[in-house]
Amino acid sequence: MARRQAAMASSLIAAVLLGACLPAPAAAGVHLSTLTKALAVTASAKSGQVLHAGVDKLTVTWSLNTSEPAGTDAAYKNVKVNLCYAPASQKDRGWRKSNDDLSKDKACQFKLTQQAYAASGGSFEYTVARDIPTGSYYVRAYALDASGTQVGYGQTGADVAFDVAGITGIHTSIKVAAGVFSAFSVAALAFFFVVESRKKNK
Amino acid sequence: MAEEGELKKPAAMEVEGAEAASKPRFRMPVDSDNKATEFWLFSFARPHMSAFHLSWFSFFCCFLSTFAAPPLLPLIRDTLGLTATDIGNAGIASVSGAVFARVAMGTACDLVGPRLASASIILLTTPAVYCSSIITSASSYLLVRFFTGFSLASFVSTQFWMSSMFSPPKVGLANGVAGGWGNLGGGAVQLLMPLVYDAILKIGSTPFTAWRVAFFIPGVLQTCSAIAVLALGQDMPGGNYRKLHKSGDMHRDSFLNVLRHAVTNYRGWILALTYGYCFGVELAVDNIIAQYFYDRFGVKLRTAGFIAASFGMANIVSRPGGGLLSDWLSSRFGMRGRLWGLWVVQTIGGVLCVTLGVVDYSFGASVGVMILFSFFVQAACGLTFGIVPFVSRRSLGLISGMTGGGGNVGAVLTQLIFFHGSKYTTETGIKYMGLMILACTLPITLIYFPQWGGMFVGPRPGATAEEYYNGEWTEEERAKGYNAAVVRFAENSVREGGRSSGSQSKHTVPVEV
Repeated sequence: MARRQAAMASSLIAAVLLGACLPAPAAAGVHLSTLTKALAVTASAKSGQVLHAGVDKLTVTWSLNTSEPAGTDAAYKNVKVNLCYAPASQKDRGWRKSNDDLSKDKACQFKLTQQAYAASGGSFEYTVARDIPTGSYYVRAYALDASGTQVGYGQTGADVAFDVAGITGIHTSIKVAAGVFSAFSVAALAFFFVVESRKKNK
Repeated sequence: MAEEGELKKPAAMEVEGAEAASKPRFRMPVDSDNKATEFWLFSFARPHMSAFHLSWFSFFCCFLSTFAAPPLLPLIRDTLGLTATDIGNAGIASVSGAVFARVAMGTACDLVGPRLASASIILLTTPAVYCSSIITSASSYLLVRFFTGFSLASFVSTQFWMSSMFSPPKVGLANGVAGGWGNLGGGAVQLLMPLVYDAILKIGSTPFTAWRVAFFIPGVLQTCSAIAVLALGQDMPGGNYRKLHKSGDMHRDSFLNVLRHAVTNYRGWILALTYGYCFGVELAVDNIIAQYFYDRFGVKLRTAGFIAASFGMANIVSRPGGGLLSDWLSSRFGMRGRLWGLWVVQTIGGVLCVTLGVVDYSFGASVGVMILFSFFVQAACGLTFGIVPFVSRRSLGLISGMTGGGGNVGAVLTQLIFFHGSKYTTETGIKYMGLMILACTLPITLIYFPQWGGMFVGPRPGATAEEYYNGEWTEEERAKGYNAAVVRFAENSVREGGRSSGSQSKHTVPVEV
């Protein structure tokens, strides 16, 4: 009894010390609200169009906004394009929440491409990956500086979100296996009941 | 008569009867009821220890299946497009089916025996596990979790079977180990499923297929364990129910009588409530903890699974520890010790639960507190079933079923109030759950056995265990000898009167604490 109590007390102390020693949370990331929305981004999918995962393609084009003053893109070295969940797909799903702090943001999880920045703009043809879940999406492009930190961005409007139909992952073999195993279980039970009644009647 | 000396080990507690000639021989020491007086964990001696291993393992497999989905939720929720509300509803569904299934199982055990009752429910729920691999929507997800959850009713048959095979001084330990090692499944699966998933991915599957295939592992284990129970198990030391009913050794009771004596015993209801706040809490945590660590602290899926697993894995020692503690307290303080032990341990569990909800700012502290919390809350489950076998003899199965069902009601209520939709953050929900544990543990103070006392009141002078248990039968039934087992049980429960009660079962002596 005493040994168990001592073990518990020491593990509590260890846990608290461990907690106290944990490194301070990582420095906060860049905030989206501080970035210049300098890029104009368009996606080839129309609002409400359904793209099938693994099959359909999406072309993303970006360029510097013509209304931006000259020299805005002096620091831009690379462009990173992400696929983001539209608000309809974020509702009641806390694990997809947007956050102004980009290091905590969970809405733009799928990276489509990262390319060198060109003043004339760029584009990328993306085949929707097989692990993109069913939902509504829009596209966001970040402009990165030499150190890889976001310094500007642009996105297609969330009101023109397109849909992706994800794969179900079900193969015929799984369906057959499920049926066979289920039938076997019930049959095994029936078998034993029959054997029992035979023994009882003997 | 000389045969008797060879049949039993000298260390056995015995009251010799004239039935020596028809007494079966056992490899373990047994009491007058043929129940084992020792517990040999690493033995498979038939029928006592083999019953133990069959029952805990089949129950373990049911836990594996019921909680196979939570560790894979980050994948399932994307495949099916689930919302937080869908997930919460399915979590509630997974433990609500067993509420009535457990009560029904208690009755089934009383009437047809634990072997057939448990194997039936286990085999009939395996199709739900296999079909979890082919679901495509939130509603089908809810349905498979609901039907799979019915298998948790096999808990009742586990406890009933152990109470039939093991003598009162060892019943707390036997119940605790069987229940604890079964509950272990809820923890082991949090580790197992991500590993199985990773292995299937490596073989070359896509994520959305791999989690589906993973469900076949718990399914197959469940099927095999139930077949083993049917092929190798035995209801009571003397044989199976069918045989005992036929030979007249055991009276076949009526459902209405069993029901009446269970629902009119207030102790059963109190234990059902308090069990809801140790076991029910354990189930709720099994459902939410992996997602909590994954989302709150941003750890990897496998890490979240590992942490969630350590919560359930504490069951290896914590629940048996609770049972052992109950038996030890009983040897010193009798039934009053068992009651105090339960109240203290479960209250500490509640305090730790509140702490867990409060330390969400620190990952290390959360893990540490969670582990401590798991020990106490699971030990409380073991302590509860150190008391249940004594509440009723006639309706043992149904009382076990009510208590077990109450555990699931607690799980349903807790998830419904605190972990449903987006009303509370998970850490706030955990904090309030702890407060509810503290409140719902207080009724233990109201439990009173006339022959052994309660937490604050001593036993009534002159009250005996035989009177208490015989009260469940009418005069005519007693005349026909239906209550034969009661006399033996009362004699074997002498120790519940406390240290100073001596070996006389006819008298009770005020317990000195």
